[in-house]
Order: sequence, then C-alpha cells, then structure tokens
Amino acid sequence: MDTKVSGSQELFNEVIDTELCALCGACVGGCPYLVPYKGRIVLLDNCTLSEGQCYQYCPRTYTDMNAISQQIFGVPYGEDEVGTTKEVLMARSTDAQIRGRAQYGGTVTALLSLALAEGLIDGAILAKMSDDKIPSAFLAQSMEEILQCAGSSYMACPILEAYNHIPKDNNHKLGIVTMPCQILAISKMKKEPPQNRFSINNVKLVIGLFCTWALSPEGFYQFLRENLDLPQVTKFDIPPPPANRFDAYTPSGKVSFSLDQIRQFTLPTCAYCLDMTSEFADVSVGSVEGIEGWNTVIVRTDAGAELMEMAKAEGKLETDTLPPQNLAHLKEAALLKKKRALKEIIKRSGDKKNLLYLGLSESMVDKLLA
Amino acid sequence: MAGIEIDAPGTSQLFIGNEAIARGALEAGIGFAAAYPGTPSSEIIGSLASVARKMNIYVEWSVNEKVAMEAAAGASFAGIRALAAMKQNGINVISDFLVNLVMSGIGKGGLVLISCDDPSAISSSNEQDTRPIAKWLDIPLVEPGNFQEAKDMTRWLFDLTEEMGTICMLRSVTRIAHARGNVKLGELSKKEQKAYFDQIYDVRKAMPTTFMPVPSSLRHAFLHQKLDKAREKFELSSFNQYVGPDKADLLIITCGSCWLYSQDAVKALKLEDKVGILKLGTLWPLPEKFVEKHLNKSKQILFVEEIDPFLERSVMELVANLPPTSPRPTFYGKRSGHINAYGELNPDMVIKAITGIMGLTYQPRGIDYGKKAEEVAKSYVPERSITFCAGCPHRATFWAIKNTLKLDGRDGFVTGDIGCYSMALGPAGFFQARTMHCMGGGTGVANGLGKLGQFGFNQPVLAVVGDSTFYHATIPALINGIYNQSNFILVILDNNATAMTGFQPHPGTGMTAMGEPAKVVSMEALCHSLGARVEVCDPFDLKGTTATLLEMVAEGGGAKVVVMRRECELVRGRKEKHPYKVYVDPDKCIGEACGCDRLCTRAFLCPGLIWDKKTDKSKIDEVICTGCGVCVDICPQGAIIKEAA
Repeated sequence: MDTKVSGSQELFNEVIDTELCALCGACVGGCPYLVPYKGRIVLLDNCTLSEGQCYQYCPRTYTDMNAISQQIFGVPYGEDEVGTTKEVLMARSTDAQIRGRAQYGGTVTALLSLALAEGLIDGAILAKMSDDKIPSAFLAQSMEEILQCAGSSYMACPILEAYNHIPKDNNHKLGIVTMPCQILAISKMKKEPPQNRFSINNVKLVIGLFCTWALSPEGFYQFLRENLDLPQVTKFDIPPPPANRFDAYTPSGKVSFSLDQIRQFTLPTCAYCLDMTSEFADVSVGSVEGIEGWNTVIVRTDAGAELMEMAKAEGKLETDTLPPQNLAHLKEAALLKKKRALKEIIKRSGDKKNLLYLGLSESMVDKLLA
Repeated sequence: MAGIEIDAPGTSQLFIGNEAIARGALEAGIGFAAAYPGTPSSEIIGSLASVARKMNIYVEWSVNEKVAMEAAAGASFAGIRALAAMKQNGINVISDFLVNLVMSGIGKGGLVLISCDDPSAISSSNEQDTRPIAKWLDIPLVEPGNFQEAKDMTRWLFDLTEEMGTICMLRSVTRIAHARGNVKLGELSKKEQKAYFDQIYDVRKAMPTTFMPVPSSLRHAFLHQKLDKAREKFELSSFNQYVGPDKADLLIITCGSCWLYSQDAVKALKLEDKVGILKLGTLWPLPEKFVEKHLNKSKQILFVEEIDPFLERSVMELVANLPPTSPRPTFYGKRSGHINAYGELNPDMVIKAITGIMGLTYQPRGIDYGKKAEEVAKSYVPERSITFCAGCPHRATFWAIKNTLKLDGRDGFVTGDIGCYSMALGPAGFFQARTMHCMGGGTGVANGLGKLGQFGFNQPVLAVVGDSTFYHATIPALINGIYNQSNFILVILDNNATAMTGFQPHPGTGMTAMGEPAKVVSMEALCHSLGARVEVCDPFDLKGTTATLLEMVAEGGGAKVVVMRRECELVRGRKEKHPYKVYVDPDKCIGEACGCDRLCTRAFLCPGLIWDKKTDKSKIDEVICTGCGVCVDICPQGAIIKEAA
C-alpha cells in the first residue's frame, strides 16, 4: 500500500477520540471490536492488529484524493468545483406516489426503484427513519422498502455498517445512497478491496447526496424530542438560503427553528470536509435552489449515465436543463466549502503542509485557497 | 482413608492437618463447631460437618466469621465445648467481638479458636500473620509443628481454656493444614453434653454469671493473671523441645511448619552435631524460663518462623530484660535479613541462612541446575494464566459488564471483592475490577464513589460481589447505599455456591453444612424489601444482560441491584451432562485476520478454546470444554457451532 495503514488503537486515538469521526460506519460491522452506539463509535476491546481495515477505509485517515480520482474517473482531483461530471441537469420522478414521499424531486427513489426492477441491483443500503425519527441502516429489497426510506433526517448515520454485515460469500448486487464522507470510504474500498467482506465489486450503484454538514444523532435527536411530537412529523427540511430555517412538517402545520439554534449540533468533523456534492458517486443528487419539487442531478460515471438514460427512456424521470445561475451558484458554494474546510484543517494542524487526513498536492492547496 | 470419627485409639491414620485438628476436637468432646469457609481452614468444619450427626454434635457454616465466633461463644456460655475456625482474614472480622470476649471470659464450656494463615497468600487477598493478635489481646497461643501436634494441641487446648476461663488460640498454616501425615489416635470422648446458661435467683447471695467486658480495667488485670497461669503450664509443656548438642555453633529457634524445614535443612547440611533446634509449640505467653535455659547453648541464634518476627521479637524482649551478666547472643532472622519477613519459607531458604551465618558452602547440584530444570519443565508445561473455569458464568458476566461500560462511554468501572470473581482484576475478567480489599469491601467503596456527584463524578460504578459474599458482609453496605442514596449498582453473582473455597453451602443454596435442607434466604426478595430496584439476569444471555445493565447504568439514582443467576459450572457439571457439543468450523474461522484477531482465544480466554498453531485456527479442547455454548455468541464469523448434546 502506498499510504500507511494503522490499527484500531490508532483509529481511536487519531480519529474517533479527536472529533474527526464522521460516523460514516465504514469501521463498524466488520469485526467485534468497533460498534456504533448512540451517536458514537465505541471500541469494545483491544484489537492488537497493527494494520486494520477499520483504519484503511476510514475517510478521516490519510486519503490520497488524486489516487482515488484517477481510480474512479481517470483524471486528477480538483479540476471542477463540483467534481468530475458528464452532465449536470434537473430531474424529478414522474411517479406521484414517489413525489409524495420525496424530499424534493424523488429522483433518488426513482433511480433506485428502476435499478431494482431492472435487476441492476438486488437491494440497496439506505438510511431509514423509525416512527420516532431515529435513522438507522437498512437493506431495502423491494419498491415498498425503498419508499419507506425516502426523506432526510439530517442526522449522521453509520449506514456502512450494513455493508460490512453482508456475508462475504453473498453474490447479490448492491446499491447504496450515501453522504460525501461515506462515498470517500467506499472509494477507498474500491481502490483497495476489503478482505473477508462482501465484495466491493458487487456494489453496482452509488448515489451520493449533496451535503453541507450533518447533525449529531445524540444531541440533535435530544433537541428534536424535547421540541416535537416526533411520530407526528412527516418530513424535515432545511430550505436553501436565505431561509436560515430548520423545518419540521406535521399534520397540524410546519414547525420552524432558526438554523442558529441548530448549528450547535453539527458534527465537528464536517468543518474539515471538502466535498459538498459527493464527488465520487455514480450520480449525485441535491435540491434546486428556488425551484421546489425538483432535484439537481450530477451524472459522473458510465454506470450513472446508463441508469439516467434508462430512466429517461422508460419515462421514470422528467428532466430539464439546470438554469445557468443555479449551476454557477452551486459551483460557488462547493468551492466555498473547500476553502473553508482547508482553512479549518490548516488552523487545526497549525501547518499548511499537515492537512490531517487529506492527501492533496501543495499546488492544489494553493489553487483552492487562492 | 479413615474418617476423622473412626473409633480406633492407638492406631495411626493419615490425616491432613485440618482433619487432625477436627479429630482433636472430637477427642476433646466438643458439641459445637462453626466457621465461614476460608482457605486453608475450610476442611476443619467440612470434616466435622460430615460426621456431625453420627457424633451427635452440631456443626454449621455461619454467614461470616464474626457470627461463627459469637455462636461458638454462645455455646461455651451454656457449658458446651465449642470451636470456631477461620483463615487469617476471619481473625480481622471477629476482632471486635474478640477484644470484648477476652475481657468477659468464656463459659463453662471450653472455647478454642483455630486460625489458619496463608503465607505467600497462595489463596488469599493478603498475607497476614495472625499470631500477634494473641500478644495484642492476651490470648494463650499454640502453633503445631506437625500433624500429630495439630491433633494433640487441639485436644489439650480445651482443657487449658476451661482451666483458664479464657479463649485459647491455635495457629496453623497451609503446609500443616493441607499436607498429610501420620496421626496416632486417642480416645473419642463419649461424654454426654448438656447445655444450660447459669441463672442465679437470689442476687443478695451472688451476682449472676454475666459475660461482659465491664469493668474493663479490672477484668484486664484478671486476664493478665490468667495469662500468668497459662505461662506456668507452658513452661512444662512437651510441645516445647530441644534437639541438638549442649554447645552448638548455631541455635535455631523455630515453631510451626518451619520446624520441619529447619530439620530438613540441618539434615541436608549434616550439621546435627553443630546446630541445635529449639522448637516451641506454646508461643504466647512465652515460656521464658524454658527459653532462657537454652539461650546459652550457642552464641548465635537463628529464628525461623512464618511470617512476622513474632517469636524473634518475644525472645529479644526476654533477653533485653535479663540481667546484664546473662549471655547476649547474636540474633539472626528477619531483622538481620537472613530470613524473609514475608512469604512462605522452605528448607532451601533455611539452608541459605545457615550457610550464610556459618560461612559454609552448600552445592548439592551444578550451579545452573535450577535454570536447566526450568527450561526442561517449560517444554512440557503449557503457559497458562489464572482464569475462570470453562463454562464459568463469571466470564460471561464480566464480558457483558465490559461491553456495557464501553458502550455507556463514561469510563465506568467495577469495585471488586473476594471470591473466584476476584480474578476480574486481571485478563480473566477483562480487567474490569479496579479495587479489591476484604469481604464486602467493594460495596463499601462503591458507596463513597456514588456520592461524589457534587464534585463532578459521573463514572458508572458497579460493585460486584458473590452470593456468599452478599450474605457475609454486603447487606449493611447496600442498606447504606439505599438510605444515603448513593449512585452505584450492586451486581450479585449468584452461582449457588461458596465456590472459591470448595462449594460450601450458604443461606441461598437451601442446604446446611450437615446436609439438611434449609430455608432459602432469597437475595432478590431481601434487596427488594430494602427498597432497591432489583433485576435478575442470566449471564449466558449476553445480549439481554448487556441491555439490562446499560439501562440501569444510564438510569442513575440511588443504589440498585442486579442478580446474575447461573449455577457454578463445577457444581452443575457434577449433576448433569454437557448441554451442547461445541466445535469450530475451520472453514469459517478467520483467526488472526482483520475482522477477528483471535477474539475467542486472545480476548475471551475460555480455556475450552485453544489456538491451533498448525492450522492457524481456533479449536475446541473437547476435554476441557463444558459445552455451555457462550462462545458461539461471541464469534464474529459464526464459526463456533453448538449442537444439542
């Protein structure tokens, strides 16, 4: 391996215990030592291995961004603010039932359902909210189950645990919907396939979501429970700026909280994340500022492009051009996130050459900070 | 081998020291014996209990040594000869009663206290020489030097204690208590026992016999008079003897098991005509005239005793008080560093001391013999750590506790106590226990920790005790925790036995020492009636137990109780077959690889699981595995399989 991999003790000391952990779940479910519990990753016992897959795939241990970009796209990292793209467009599901459950346009649900129906995947790892809105990993294997997972909780959820739990001799094809940190972990797995685990080559579809930050499932959930009758809530939403609100929809109306109240619950690690649009996914999906009920879709890989074409051809998705000012604004926001994150990283490390977990060339750092 | 009750006076039988003591008690005609199990004393009451009905005596396992001592005293007050036996810690537990008993005196029935010390703490939390309590509290003290003396001294002490009207003490150690030797038997007492507590109805004529320490200083003076009388008897005792030349190059003054080591050492060095051995059996009060008579046998005196310099200091005191013209020998022993002031002794140590003092060399074998022997032995003896038995419920309990405290995430810990589960201090119990002192000590310590919230303390505290420990000493501490609202959880390991000491019964087991059915004192009903929340878990249900513990730890509040109930495997295994056949599927086992890192043989540490170096896989040792099936639930690959046996 070109990068130094350490073991669970180092993972704990360097990432878990230092507020760098993104709760992505890549380190849990594959062994008896690391388990997620109430918004923390817990090390139950000593593992004496000096090198472990927990450390290897963690998105907050050394990650060579360039090497990953080359592996997936064949191009260097950082050429585009929103990552490597084949196409950027607007889309929404043509299915009223899907749109009814959806966060915005229902594109993710539509793509997953199509992939499942066509046998491109046998199941998908998603985040599912319980009746009282606790998110957890779920392996959906039917249209109904996919629908049940629609909608954002805005809370971090270690869904990659579910990947590690799949028996290693299982040959099913898998889809997965992730946050940018989880994409990074999967990308590291694609570069150096895991041992004694479900084969990474069986992951046929990765849909990434846009993300600014995620909220703590312990602290933020506590806040929600104190302020809302959670089983009554049908949807959470953070509308685009300048709204500055966190909304909870209930049958009796919308309850809003100022984002200033909510920001205290963001995971500290999000301040060090450069990726707003899940740059290593097959397809990345987010909202469209100012246009309700539609998704911004970034198509990145051949697999992503084929699925999108199929969706359009079979009438599962309605598409349109993304207005230029939306694309410009998206790129601006994405670049801003990179700059902010780099500044925070350098502030924490105290040294421009020490980027904590990031493997970026000096010229790339200078370019981004310019 | 014969039982201790065999009616064959004059014959020679093979007994361990404890059996010899029990036999001595039978020959003295005791009616009552009580104890709490404690290594190395347990076989005294154990063997008496097994013959109790036949011999028409009463024998019990008491909840703790204090009650045992008090109960025996009660029998003595009513005119019945009684005996209480205990290990060194028991002496500490009875001490408050004892200090008052020596003042109040005993009844018409003789009362003998047997204290069995454990030098080197082979099976104890601490190492302690209990002889100094005799000096401290003014108690006549004897120490047997072999198995015959163990019996004869016990027999004799009952007469002595009745003559003196005060309790007498016999001190033994592991190497007498648990070793075997020939004992010539005496006559069994056939005397009938009658119990009555004296009453006087006309107080104008006489005060009723009252067993109380007041008025204390007056009674203290009387006690000293009793001791003077005892000293006169000790001067004439045949338990004190000298063997050796009239003029010796070295005089060894010794007692107890060290008498045997000293004899061995002198014989090995072939110094019988140069080194004399003065062996004392009656240690306190010191038979001063007898000792003084032998002081001029040599200009050099070596004291050989375990553990503290008890005899050494008594003799030094004696010499300091002699007129200045008396001989002033050079003393060697613990003060001079020739004999360790800690730990067990053995003949080699005594040889080293003798040769050091006399400037001799002794080399019976090559200088590297010991090292060579060790290396050869290593190749035959596998490395083993001190651990719970295969199938022990404590392993499962501490695994659940470890996971609970890690998941809780607030750096919780266990305050430990005395029993098999003391091993939670080490790898066997996953290093969960952080304190260990005496019976019931862990719950007491937890009480203090549970009140430190106002100083910012929020670490969960679990006080773990065994079932026997619970009845022995824990209940007052639990009451304190409920009353003072201390935030800790009492975890009672109910394996239905006083296991560490030999599976003796206790109030929870439904059986008495004499094998009769007993009322069960339900620990959960008791705790519940004290006002605590009580949960009962099966430690083999790792998931359920962890969930319950997590919830209780998160709840906080005053003291509460969890009973971990599952029978000790060694007790269960004698009654029933293995529940499961367990084996490892080598195709599924990934061993040292990432994803396991040998969890079962490296972290879980059940001795039924072994690591096969040839195949690099785990394996079940079919001889040791008891088929409990718990390891099936911890294997991350599902490679351990259980099938109904």
